[in-house]
Amino acid sequence: MRWLYAFSLLLIASALAFKIFQPIQVLPRIRLAPAFSMVDQNGERLTSDRLQGQITLYTFTYTRCTAPCVNPDLMMQEIQRRLAEEPLSTPVSLVSISFDPQHDTPDVLRTYAERVGAERGRWYIATTSDESLLKTIIGAGFEVYYQPRADGSFDFSPVFILVDGWGIVRGEYRYQTEVPTVERILRHLRVLDEEVRNSHGVARLAYEAAHLFLCYAQ
Amino acid sequence: MKNWWKAFLGAFILIGLIAWGWWRFAPYSFHGMVMQSPEPAPDFTLLSKDGPVSLSDFRGKYVLLYFGYTFCPDVCPATLANLAQALHQIGRGAERVQVIMVSVDPERDTPEKIGEYVAHFDSSFIGLSGDPKDIARIASLYGIFYEKEEVAGAAGYLVTHTASVRVIDPEGRLKLIWPFGATPDEIAQDLKFLLRR
Repeated sequence: MRWLYAFSLLLIASALAFKIFQPIQVLPRIRLAPAFSMVDQNGERLTSDRLQGQITLYTFTYTRCTAPCVNPDLMMQEIQRRLAEEPLSTPVSLVSISFDPQHDTPDVLRTYAERVGAERGRWYIATTSDESLLKTIIGAGFEVYYQPRADGSFDFSPVFILVDGWGIVRGEYRYQTEVPTVERILRHLRVLDEEVRNSHGVARLAYEAAHLFLCYAQ
Repeated sequence: MKNWWKAFLGAFILIGLIAWGWWRFAPYSFHGMVMQSPEPAPDFTLLSKDGPVSLSDFRGKYVLLYFGYTFCPDVCPATLANLAQALHQIGRGAERVQVIMVSVDPERDTPEKIGEYVAHFDSSFIGLSGDPKDIARIASLYGIFYEKEEVAGAAGYLVTHTASVRVIDPEGRLKLIWPFGATPDEIAQDLKFLLRR
């Protein structure tokens, strides 16, 4: 009888310890990212299908976003630089989606990409001329607000969105209110990379338990 | 003697509680990606062979949502056959599951055509088609990428598309995604687990 009580206590203690000490941390699976087909700065098609299996960090902006407009490019540049210095096992892509396709043609995007130092094959700057589809992708799919103003500028939510290789949103970062966002994103990229590397066999069970116990990285 | 019975009864209850707790709360490893805090799945209305059908019509059931097309040479028939086999395996539980296939080739797939196509796999399956723009929007929101691919021959073109299955729970929230290739056994196991919750 004693061993049974001991076993029960051990079971409860193990579950509590897992929840409290969180030996494994994960990022929540929030919702599906939208599927899309756009054109990038090189005039090539960029599709959500092509980014499957990679970790992708999205942000939303437009090339005419200059002060006081808060542009995410400085942060993207820093993330691109840090990823080059400390590469992850899983490929990581950066995608800036422009919600100003009337002005941001592929030529404009190319010039812009050169100015911000977007590496080919790493950082895509893309849009689509189908504005209705763009609204579906950004507004309904990524749940990011943007609205043109009368002067041609845009009002928009300053946000980064982290998507895993399955096309599932795993993190959202409001870069005007969350400081320091770059460090947090890089930390989360490493957490996601760890999960991807341990997504097979027994390790996967442990990671699924971490999801079950909501052991989410801060 | 009395103490012996008490100990036996205590042990019996404890084992029962542990077994129930394990059955109810043990981490279950799904054969796909599970959403721990699922969000509402986007509702939509499209046309079946019997008229308009909305996702929200199926509250109270698990909906297995698949995007494909009737000209699909291999991936779609394989997936639909696996789903049909899995439903067969879960027996009466299948009454609480609805398979819906949305066409990613609405130009060729009329509601009648896709309805007849899915019925070949299981008479309970529902096939939906509709306005190409509506379908493009719905597919995008469900993370389904598709595009035409020109091929030689009578078909003219094929449609490359995301082949995973989305599972919507009875409250209308996206719960699980099965990759292409999930076997009938794996699908049936996951459904049995979900249905006993």
